[in-house]
Amino acid sequence: MSQTPIERRVVMIQVQDVVRNYHAGETVVRALKGVSLEIADGEFISIAGPSGSGKTTLLNLIGCIDALDGGEITIDGTRVSQMDKRAKTEFRRHNLGFIFQTYNLIPVLTAYENVSFVLSILSLPEKEIEERTMRILREVGLEGMEHRRPDRLSGGQQQRIAIARALVKNPKIVLADEPTANLDSKTGEEILKLMKQMNEKYHTTFIFSTHDTMVMEYARRLVSLHDGQIESDERR
Amino acid sequence: MKFIISLALKNLSRYRRRTLITAFAIAIGLMMFIVVDSVLIGVEAESMRNLRWYETSSARIMHEEYWEERLLKPLDISVEQPYEIISSLEQIGIPAAPRTTFAADMILYSDDFGEDGNMSVQVTAVDPDLDNTVFRFEETLIEGRFAEAGANELVIGSWFAEDIGAELGYWVTFVTRGRGGFYEAMDMQIVGIVNCPNPNVNRTLLMIPIDVADEYLGMEGTVTEINMAIPERSDISKEVARIAEMLDDSSQRVKVARWDELAQDYVALAETKRGGTSMILFMVFLIAAVGISNTMLMAIYERIRELGMMRALGMSDRAIQLSFMIEAGGIGLIGSITGVLLGVLGNIYMVNVGVDLGFLMRDLDMGYRIQSVMRGAWSPATLVVAFLFGTLLSMLVAYIPTRRALKMDIPSCLRHQ
Repeated sequence: MSQTPIERRVVMIQVQDVVRNYHAGETVVRALKGVSLEIADGEFISIAGPSGSGKTTLLNLIGCIDALDGGEITIDGTRVSQMDKRAKTEFRRHNLGFIFQTYNLIPVLTAYENVSFVLSILSLPEKEIEERTMRILREVGLEGMEHRRPDRLSGGQQQRIAIARALVKNPKIVLADEPTANLDSKTGEEILKLMKQMNEKYHTTFIFSTHDTMVMEYARRLVSLHDGQIESDERR
Repeated sequence: MKFIISLALKNLSRYRRRTLITAFAIAIGLMMFIVVDSVLIGVEAESMRNLRWYETSSARIMHEEYWEERLLKPLDISVEQPYEIISSLEQIGIPAAPRTTFAADMILYSDDFGEDGNMSVQVTAVDPDLDNTVFRFEETLIEGRFAEAGANELVIGSWFAEDIGAELGYWVTFVTRGRGGFYEAMDMQIVGIVNCPNPNVNRTLLMIPIDVADEYLGMEGTVTEINMAIPERSDISKEVARIAEMLDDSSQRVKVARWDELAQDYVALAETKRGGTSMILFMVFLIAAVGISNTMLMAIYERIRELGMMRALGMSDRAIQLSFMIEAGGIGLIGSITGVLLGVLGNIYMVNVGVDLGFLMRDLDMGYRIQSVMRGAWSPATLVVAFLFGTLLSMLVAYIPTRRALKMDIPSCLRHQ
């Protein structure tokens, strides 16, 4: 699938002068120092940078799971930074998918249940939940493993469940924080290919943080952060 | 909702060991509560019954001024023509018996007791023909026989007899002031020893025929009290009001008192004990609550990342809270069912066999009118309360740590190790 130039595509995320400070006792850690960024609908973008550069903080702010200290974030025309806690929860439930470094699957649930759980909290009909869950599990290559619990699956398979869980509700954006950091390079590459494939198929905006150069290679746009500021923004 | 319940139930089985240990702790706490409560109810019910059967009767008629002066045991403030009242009571189906109680010095002789001595006692003069229609002494005689009308004979409580070394055939003398203030001495021979389920009676009982007392004390046919046996299932207050109304028509100035008014000291003591035991029960529950709370705290603490993930994916705090509370409620439910079952098993033993505390009761006056075996009593309300309390308490104690965990911001939850 060919990339549409940014100027011709709908802007999905607008990050304007975002500031985030953390307080560690008397010390104030300035995690983001006025970051501005526009991300278009359907982009496959990597936020790269060394540890402490602010990439996870930026991802958390876009993901509406952290509160900013200055600036503004707008997602699909909604000023999420102005929302209260309940509205953010509601927004995340409908619009955002998350993939975590450590998969964060619920160990008591099967692969099927881990994925269908996000549809359950959307109160969808049982039949639709089943259809969508089975379809996405097929697409991520976990057909036949839907009744297995996470402890009986490999790291790569667990991350596939996490990808399925993030995509099953057709979110506008999928945020992945170091999605391959816990995987060997071969499995990591497979996961990246899968994510890219899903991005192309569903046209979902993918934003992932990484400090792995192999992962950066896969991104169509690479935003490098350093010391809480954007160092470079490179399109490929 | 279905998902929340399903998740909670899966977590119950996932942490099977934790579930079982916590449920077991709850079960033990509830079992203790049920059994202790059963024993307390049983002991109180039996004490009250023994009070009515051996001490106070269901209700008592006295001269209206006697109640105020009762500690002095005045013989001149008495009920006149008692047998007319008894006859009227019998006509309305209430057995009644006269008694006269008086304070005396009891003199013991070295010929019988080995040493001379005397002690202050309370003597009860009873009508041998009527007394057992109100009180239940028939089955309590362990040696000799009851005193006969017109004879200088004495029946004594078994523990009292043991304490002073009394045996059948021994003589004692009661020195007291008769009605009008004159001094009188009565020689009485012990003809019977009773051992009844009321330890207070065993410790103090001295029973002589009322006609003998009447003659010695110059009672002129009056008595200090008329005791009544109101049927067990009747409403005593209503019956007492009915009797009082009936007696109002007579020329007598009398008062009718219920057994619980007569046994004020016991009732007050029982209430105090109830307060104390409630505190013990509360402590049992508090320990169980802290245990459950701690377990839930640990369970929630180790799942903070999972909780953060759920929140990130858009699950509401309320739904998460509910899920944890259902999980805790599930533990409480298992614990409560087990606790109630264990409590029922414990109760079967306590109600049918009981615990023999005779060795303790003999020398220690605990206030209860129970001689030896403490038995339990069934209380369906206690079983229901225990069950609900165990389940609801578990849910309640899960609320606080979950609430605390939900106050953490999501990135901190996700970073949590």
